[in-house]
Amino acid sequence: MKNIIIFDEIKDSVIAAVDELENNRQYFNDLDSPIGDSDHGDSVCSSFKKVKEAVLGYDDGQSKDIGALLKAAGQALIFSGGAAMGPLYGSAFTEAGKTVSGKSEITYDDFVKMWSAFAGGIGKRGEKVGEKTMYDTIRPAVDALEAAYAEGKTLKEACVLVDIAAKNGMNATKDMLALRGRSSRLGDRSIGHIDPGAASMYTFISTFFKSVSATQ
Amino acid sequence: MKKFINTYDDMIEEMLTGFTAANCDKVEKIADRVIARKGAPFKDKVGVITGGGSGHKPAFIGYIGEGMLDAVAVGNIFAAPGVKICYDAIKAADSGKGVLVCIGNYSGDLMNFGMAIDILREEGAKVEMVIANDDVASSPKERIGNRRGVAGEIILWKVAGALAAMGTDLQTMKKAGEEIIYNTRSLGAAHSPCIMPSSGKPSFEIGEDEMEIGVGHHGEPGIKKVKMMSADEITDLIMEKILEDLPFMENDDVAVMLNGLGSTSLLEEYIIYKRIDEILRAKGINVHKAWVGEYFTSMEMGGFSITLTKLNAETKKCIDYPANAVHFVTK
Repeated sequence: MKNIIIFDEIKDSVIAAVDELENNRQYFNDLDSPIGDSDHGDSVCSSFKKVKEAVLGYDDGQSKDIGALLKAAGQALIFSGGAAMGPLYGSAFTEAGKTVSGKSEITYDDFVKMWSAFAGGIGKRGEKVGEKTMYDTIRPAVDALEAAYAEGKTLKEACVLVDIAAKNGMNATKDMLALRGRSSRLGDRSIGHIDPGAASMYTFISTFFKSVSATQ
Repeated sequence: MKKFINTYDDMIEEMLTGFTAANCDKVEKIADRVIARKGAPFKDKVGVITGGGSGHKPAFIGYIGEGMLDAVAVGNIFAAPGVKICYDAIKAADSGKGVLVCIGNYSGDLMNFGMAIDILREEGAKVEMVIANDDVASSPKERIGNRRGVAGEIILWKVAGALAAMGTDLQTMKKAGEEIIYNTRSLGAAHSPCIMPSSGKPSFEIGEDEMEIGVGHHGEPGIKKVKMMSADEITDLIMEKILEDLPFMENDDVAVMLNGLGSTSLLEEYIIYKRIDEILRAKGINVHKAWVGEYFTSMEMGGFSITLTKLNAETKKCIDYPANAVHFVTK
């Protein structure tokens, strides 16, 4: 049991998650048709393309600083991500990066704090659970990670619990009334459809955690 | 999907290159995804800018010009531009007298422009924002702050652009902008979707004999799907909802904008306008200015929107004030 994650593993996990988002581009567009403007896949992939560019462009010859890597992704998202995804994920990556500044490898404890800050970066933009958004996936996922850590579960076990919680969170958005964003203008018509932002957040989290789990 | 594009990835850049080439007398690209009036920023004038997703031609870049907009931040199709693009657009319009940012009520636009404005204010710039929320369909009156901005945003740019040209200060312009958009109400209907270029798929599903009332400018669903109506029937329904929403009263002076959403013909629009005119005359409402055409489209969506703005003496002057934008001229 390692319980340590190194720079390259974080970098690879982020890239794997971005690639998986791209694989699901049309699926996200399709989810966005009944309650949005059919472009969520295009938006999230366009924004995360900037993440991949920032991550691949990060010069780790000098120092493998996980915090700096995540902050570079965050700043790229904020400044050129665009759409609603840019500022939201940009805030998340930046806040996450701040907690692990200067570290070339992180402990289980660091990892939990990093993800708490990630969720907090989205939460501080005013997102609340139950409004049918990406937050309905990330909040329960991070809650599950924090609980698993507190209960003494291994990191590998925690990754499984995070995936379950995230998936349940995403599915719960199906019957929610949208209170935020484009779908909030549809009233009852928003009910009965999974929120595309919750779905893309699930794809991101589940791919990232699967990748990290494989290193443990 | 049959569209005259080259590749999806190059679409927006190529469009902007063509636009600036065709209109090089009036506009220029001043930064990545930012188009500005030639000669901007203008001394002794507050800047007026907007931004948003592509796919709404002639909005937004078609409204750059004297008496209208000084710069536009350009996003991908139906997606808000990033913070840097918003920042560059605001800066391009600022000669020191400040900038009024007039955008639609969409979370992406609000977040990206909001963050850009925060950064600029920290740098000492004077920037204010007015948010368009004229779409009657998207939320009940009790939640008017949640309504989408649609074609009414153009009336906002016209008034703000005129006031800026007259030498008005930023704070006065902000108040006037908020008031004109409050007095503007819009509603649309569509019978066929636009085609999303990345996928070749339609933006929404609709039956052969159906139409959607209250559809948004990105093909978002609206109030409800109904069976296709005649021009008079749908115009009666839309006008009733708009008139009661403000409400518009007898003896009001109004500006009317009948806007085609992309593939609805002018022939159809004039049939619709005949009915709008009959309704307004019957109500004793006076049309000060009427615009019929394509002002704020949704690519090739089949449908239209009606925008009504209640005017007073000052705003009538703004409506009449000369404007010489690329795709919008008032003599």
